[in-house]
Amino acid sequence: MIGRQMTGSSWLHRLPAPVKLLLLVAGGAMIFPVTDRSLLLVCLAAVLSLYASLRVEGLRQLLYLRPLLWLLVFFLGLHGLAGTWETGLSAVLRLLVMVLAANLVSVTTRMDDMINAIRPVFAPLRWIGLSPQKPALAISLVIRFAPVLLFVYGSLSDAYRARTGRATNWRLIAPLALQAVRMSENVAEALSARGGSRGLARCGKDTPQTGRALRLSTNEKG
Amino acid sequence: MAFWAKGRSVSAAASFDLTVKTYAVFEAVSLALDGKTVLDGISLALSERRVGIVGLNGSGKSSLARLLNGLRLPTNGKVRLFGADTVSVAAQLPRHVGFVFQNPDHQAIFPTVEEEIAFGLTQIGHDRTSARAEAVGFLRRHRCEFLADKPIATLSEGQKQLVCILAVLVMQPCILVLDEPMTSLDGLAAKRILQKLQSLDQTLIMVSHDLSALTGFDRILWLEDGRIRMDGVPGDVLPAYAADLDRRAAAEVWEGDGL
Ligand SMILES: Nc1ncnc2c1ncn2[C@@H]1O[C@H](COP(=O)(O)OP(=O)(O)O)[C@@H](O)[C@H]1O
Ligand SMILES: [Mg+2]
Repeated sequence: MIGRQMTGSSWLHRLPAPVKLLLLVAGGAMIFPVTDRSLLLVCLAAVLSLYASLRVEGLRQLLYLRPLLWLLVFFLGLHGLAGTWETGLSAVLRLLVMVLAANLVSVTTRMDDMINAIRPVFAPLRWIGLSPQKPALAISLVIRFAPVLLFVYGSLSDAYRARTGRATNWRLIAPLALQAVRMSENVAEALSARGGSRGLARCGKDTPQTGRALRLSTNEKG
Repeated sequence: MAFWAKGRSVSAAASFDLTVKTYAVFEAVSLALDGKTVLDGISLALSERRVGIVGLNGSGKSSLARLLNGLRLPTNGKVRLFGADTVSVAAQLPRHVGFVFQNPDHQAIFPTVEEEIAFGLTQIGHDRTSARAEAVGFLRRHRCEFLADKPIATLSEGQKQLVCILAVLVMQPCILVLDEPMTSLDGLAAKRILQKLQSLDQTLIMVSHDLSALTGFDRILWLEDGRIRMDGVPGDVLPAYAADLDRRAAAEVWEGDGL
């Protein structure tokens, strides 16, 4: 999500979150071994037509993904340097299809539905006394904020260009990583300020709190 | 941030007494972050409904605010809220002490307004279905129903800050701690947010650079280099602080403090 959730009630919004996630995972697994470029182009056309099925709003979502283009060009450039640009092109196409599909799911799914859909995957954690809520929340947060980072990347490269007149380059990796860390600290703090991933429901006003619980809840890192 | 991990021994749980008049007590509190002393020997007892905090950047205002809801724990000394040591009740403190961050973008976790509000409700025990319905009702009561389905990223700065305040209010805290809530807002949005805050029943503890916003408050703390430089009613503290700013500005030294 590029900081823009799509609101509305399109067929994709109405599709249950677990179904969307399963389709996404299955599609990803199927496309992963594909190297044939024409087949990948067909997949790209398919995923683009899904965006188109959401009309203007859906197509507008594609605009938010522009910073991604530069990353893909960057990958392609690396492959070009290594003399493997044909492999690179397939890799980039595959990545593009997967990111477009994942983005489509994330912008049309409520985050709490997403958390709920992911939680069963971690249900076995209960057997060893851990809560599946935490990893489900963590994954949803990654899905939620990864594209925001893309946006940050866009503004960093603007700032770089404004002062150097030159296009983006690898130097931006370090500030980007720094921003990512800072962002995760902010999210972690925002979460603990409202009671952390465990919630406040079970700790009534007078519930004794053990040191362990205190540590867990003051160490939220998304 | 590993501020909690310094081999802290957690004392037996104390419980909140929400009826006490003096809701916050600092006993010789100091706070060090990465080895730097950020707050130094702060002793305080707060019982006023409206408390303002002023001071230059880096004076420790945000750190003091974070001590109030357990986002930070003191390195030395004790912070008590409603009679309970924050070290032993940090996990439950957000139930009673809400925290509004300076930058709304650092506070919003969820993509849309209604989800952000509903999150607070699930935190205090609502299930998802009732949280969604109640979130919409809550927005309606605050005449913000039109925001419900909006992506937070598309709101104006003022609306974002309003949503952040509402997202905390929905958890029904007794105290609202606000870290420069108006700093990123234009004049009109700042006025509106201030009006909203002043209308609340909650106890407010507000960090602000806008001195005029604090004139109606009951008590002002002026922080300087991690200590309390002055503590009193706005009529005394605000003019003294403003005079100090003028004095520093007149010195015209672009070094050291104030940059
Ligand atoms: N996480 C941190 N680690 C180390 N130093 C910090 C951290 N947070 C704040 N500080 C330092 O603590 C001092 C007080 O910061 P802060 O409480 O944010 O002040 P204010 O809100 O008044 O600007 C500053 O010098 C700041 O650099
Ligand atoms: Mg601050």
